[in-house]
Amino acid sequence: MLPHLDRKLIRDLRRLKGQAAAVSLVMACGLAMLIMARSLISSLDGTRAEYYQTNHFAEIFASLRRAPNHLQEQLRAIPGVATVQTDLSSPVTLDLPGLGEPAGGMVRSLPDFGEPELNRLFLRRGRWLSPGARGEVLVGEAFALANQLNPGDSLTMLLHGRRQQFRIAGIVLSPEYIFESRPGAALPDNRTYGIFWMPYKEAATAFDLYGAFNHVAITLAPGANEQPVLKELDRLLLPYGGFGAFARKDHPSHIRVSDEIRVLSILSIGFPTVFLSVAAFMTNAVLTRLLSLQREQIAILKAFGFTNRQIVVHYLKFAFVMVVAGLVLGLCGGLFLGLKLVKMYELFFRFPDLQFTFDRPAVIVALGVGLAAVTVGVFGAVRRAAKLPPAEAMRPEPPASFRPAFVERAGFAHLFTHSFRIAIRNLERRPVQALFTVIGLSLATALLILPNTFKAGIASVLDFQWDVVQRQDINVGLIEPSSARTANEIAQLPGVISLEPARNAAVRIHFNGRNRQIGLRSLIPGGIHSRAVDKEGREIMPPPDGIILSAKLADVLGAKVGDQVTVESLEGKRRTVTVTLAGLAEDFTGIAAYMDLHTINRFLGEGDVITGASITLDLAKRAEFLEALKGIPRISYAVIKESLRKSFRDTTAQSMGLLQTIYLTFAVIVSFGVIYNNARISLAERSRELATLRVVGMTQREVGAVLVIELTILALIAVPAGLVLGTGFSTVIIHAVNTETVRLPLVFTPYTYSYAVIVVVIASTISALFVLRQLNKLDLIAALKAPE
Amino acid sequence: MQPTSSPASGSYAPAATSRRQVFRVRGLTKIYGEGTAQVRALDGVDLDLYEGELVVLLGPSGSGKTTLLNQLGGLDIPTAGELAYRDSDLTHATEAQLTNYRRNSVGFIFQFYNLIPSLTARENVGLITEIARDPMPPEEALAMVNLTPRMDHFPAQLSGGEQQRVAIARAIAKRPEVLLCDEPTGALDVRTGIVVLEALERANRELGTLTILITHNAVMAEMADRVIHFSDGRVLSEHRNATRAAPSTLRW
Ligand SMILES: Nc1ncnc2c1ncn2[C@@H]1O[C@H](COP(=O)(O)OP(=O)(O)O)[C@@H](O)[C@H]1O
Ligand SMILES: [Mg+2]
Repeated sequence: MLPHLDRKLIRDLRRLKGQAAAVSLVMACGLAMLIMARSLISSLDGTRAEYYQTNHFAEIFASLRRAPNHLQEQLRAIPGVATVQTDLSSPVTLDLPGLGEPAGGMVRSLPDFGEPELNRLFLRRGRWLSPGARGEVLVGEAFALANQLNPGDSLTMLLHGRRQQFRIAGIVLSPEYIFESRPGAALPDNRTYGIFWMPYKEAATAFDLYGAFNHVAITLAPGANEQPVLKELDRLLLPYGGFGAFARKDHPSHIRVSDEIRVLSILSIGFPTVFLSVAAFMTNAVLTRLLSLQREQIAILKAFGFTNRQIVVHYLKFAFVMVVAGLVLGLCGGLFLGLKLVKMYELFFRFPDLQFTFDRPAVIVALGVGLAAVTVGVFGAVRRAAKLPPAEAMRPEPPASFRPAFVERAGFAHLFTHSFRIAIRNLERRPVQALFTVIGLSLATALLILPNTFKAGIASVLDFQWDVVQRQDINVGLIEPSSARTANEIAQLPGVISLEPARNAAVRIHFNGRNRQIGLRSLIPGGIHSRAVDKEGREIMPPPDGIILSAKLADVLGAKVGDQVTVESLEGKRRTVTVTLAGLAEDFTGIAAYMDLHTINRFLGEGDVITGASITLDLAKRAEFLEALKGIPRISYAVIKESLRKSFRDTTAQSMGLLQTIYLTFAVIVSFGVIYNNARISLAERSRELATLRVVGMTQREVGAVLVIELTILALIAVPAGLVLGTGFSTVIIHAVNTETVRLPLVFTPYTYSYAVIVVVIASTISALFVLRQLNKLDLIAALKAPE
Repeated sequence: MQPTSSPASGSYAPAATSRRQVFRVRGLTKIYGEGTAQVRALDGVDLDLYEGELVVLLGPSGSGKTTLLNQLGGLDIPTAGELAYRDSDLTHATEAQLTNYRRNSVGFIFQFYNLIPSLTARENVGLITEIARDPMPPEEALAMVNLTPRMDHFPAQLSGGEQQRVAIARAIAKRPEVLLCDEPTGALDVRTGIVVLEALERANRELGTLTILITHNAVMAEMADRVIHFSDGRVLSEHRNATRAAPSTLRW
């Protein structure tokens, strides 16, 4: 049989169900977020680790111009190296029927016979290349899906200027391309960029690289240190045009997944912390109220010999029930959202099988954290109950001592109605309760700021990137640096309004012992397409002997404006030059560096060359232009801003929208919960007093006005405080989330703030209406008879 | 409602000396507050209370009756003086010892009943018998106060007199050695008050429990074995009734 004290618990809870549900719901939001994020982390991390292991993903990578195959022996001899796998990796242009713009990609080679030792592929559909067969190719899944390519379809590629027809044998995945995207591009465009694998013999013939390799992947012997291997590898590859070796942690595809995991880890701490603090706070309010209502009951239990421990446990059970309900709800919510988001990750990341792994320890953590939060929340209140001397508790609470409120003492009394006076006297009399309500409301307001800050940040990045920094309609890339005459050729094509040449180069920037490998971008004086823009939105141009770095890169290197930084070219003659850091650019795609086009060419010493161009186009002639562009042999790709924007809107933006919707929904739930809870408590605390007012002849309106005026005054204090709090909170989280590849600006818009205010106002209004309805139903006699 | 059968007057004349002593109180003092705000609620009380007695403690409001009851019941610790319950010294008892004492030996009845509103009559009694050493079944205790038909009602569904009888059932169900009643009829009308007093008198008679009844209503003194007059925190006088009047004969 259920102990009597537990029966009391159940009945009391039944009466508190609205408030208990509000607390559980808020807690559930926090716990769902925790469980979702932790599960996604373990899904991504676990799936990736297993994928790397099964498919022998390398630990060190390097690209070079060309080295003879026998150099492999020397590479294998580097101390600490376990396996060396060389291959070819060359850019390619495609001619896809039905796709207006030229598409490009990378051709990678596979051993003519047998599987590669490292970076093995996973066959999704179709079959492997048949040994010895010609004209067959394997296609990366992201590109194949975006262009609806299937095994058996044919594909036309421009290899080294020669047009060649291939048959697709299979659709594959590679651990090197979990994130399949054009190098350096912030957003994937899987329609115009793909990866293709063909036998070494075929690729080498096509690219004129027979007997040579231009890419190498290495794994280390157990316990070997990667730094000396990287150094030695760079030294050995230098004569062969090495572009600089890098470790797995700098591998572009690896970084994208790691960054996502990092963001999830921050969210898995940040959001739940806030939500659970709010829940702790609400539990405190509910229990404090409960305990003061049950003062006499506690005293009776004590008088009849219940121990302090029994009483503390009894009241902790209230909190415990709310935690368990919150956990169950949070678990369901977390699983549901986790499963949904895994689907979203399948859009970004290509794994053989991204399984949702439910992170069991996260549930334990969630339970622990939830319990800890409410225990902290209720500990003080329950301890006070335990300390209550039983004799003391038998006396009714002393009548409250009222005095004229401050505004009345200041001589404004005649200005106010009775309702107003009662309201402010009550606020002054119970400053602690008032403060608690203010804190609760502020937290509710603050929580609403963050999701919209994320949203505004992303929107601003896109606008900034597309409307401020890159204002061209089309970017064209060349397969390799070519004479500046190519620019003239392109400028002659139909529809071109203006063209600006670009010279990008692979460099490593050094400062004070730190360095970063990066694609240096060119700017031209008076250029209107690609620009560098500072924090204030002003265009900045590097002087002839200067360089501009993105603020993040300068931060990573520890360099300040005016410092001398060293730029080491990883191409051609591999020169090194020291330049002045002339300014910091705002660039939200991460780390970036800019120099004057002519300065770059002078520095590289390869004459007047370009690697691409940006174009403003008469959009009416777009199709004509693209068709003509296909006739120019050295073109590798063309990125059309509008297509990118559209594909971004259709995929990425939608998925990110899902995530933001989740956060926002949670924030809205929490603010309703907090406000409703507060209204309930203030009604419960005041029902006796308000009933008395009714009995002595105040109308329902006047009594209702007392509550509404109180709530309004508190909201007027709390909401602005909440906006400030939310701003601070967003600042902290966004700073924590920012990485070298993703940088979100802090954007606070009037929309963000008014959204928060409006939700709080609506929640307050609904809660107030609810409370007013209760008030009108108030049984005057019952309210006066008993304290409950 | 059927009144409980009243005893023949004097049927229970106590011979204090032949009975064992339950409380021994000497120079008991309780001071609240400090300095000028200091209140001497008890100011040197001497008292001996014996098994089976029904003692009425009479005194004006504020004279310290409740304070004395709180000390006797182990709800509070006196400032000075001696207070012994049988062989144990309550003045130096630990919190745990006091809890244990209250749990097993004392039954309280208060002016405002103080039932747990979320539990039915039976459950209110059951709550206490659950933790007591040798309780009677809650149903039996409720039968003693003639509440069998209303056992499964919640406090809010009971009248004041009925609630107070539930409180009596709750207090006697653990078979306490002492029943402490602080103005149990204070909030009730005469007729209901008499029903409650009858229930108390019956419990005292049938269970032989030392019963201390606080009141400022002198009429109730007639139902006691012994009457103690209290004033300003001190025992003013005490006298023994030759016979106990049946509660049903009282009027106020
Ligand atoms: N906790 C307390 N703090 C201060 N004074 C108290 C406290 N409890 C009782 N008193 C004072 O002690 C005196 C006796 O109170 P009480 O025992 O309640 O009287 P009675 O029950 O006879 O009416 C009163 O003056 C009362 O104000
Ligand atoms: Mg009293």
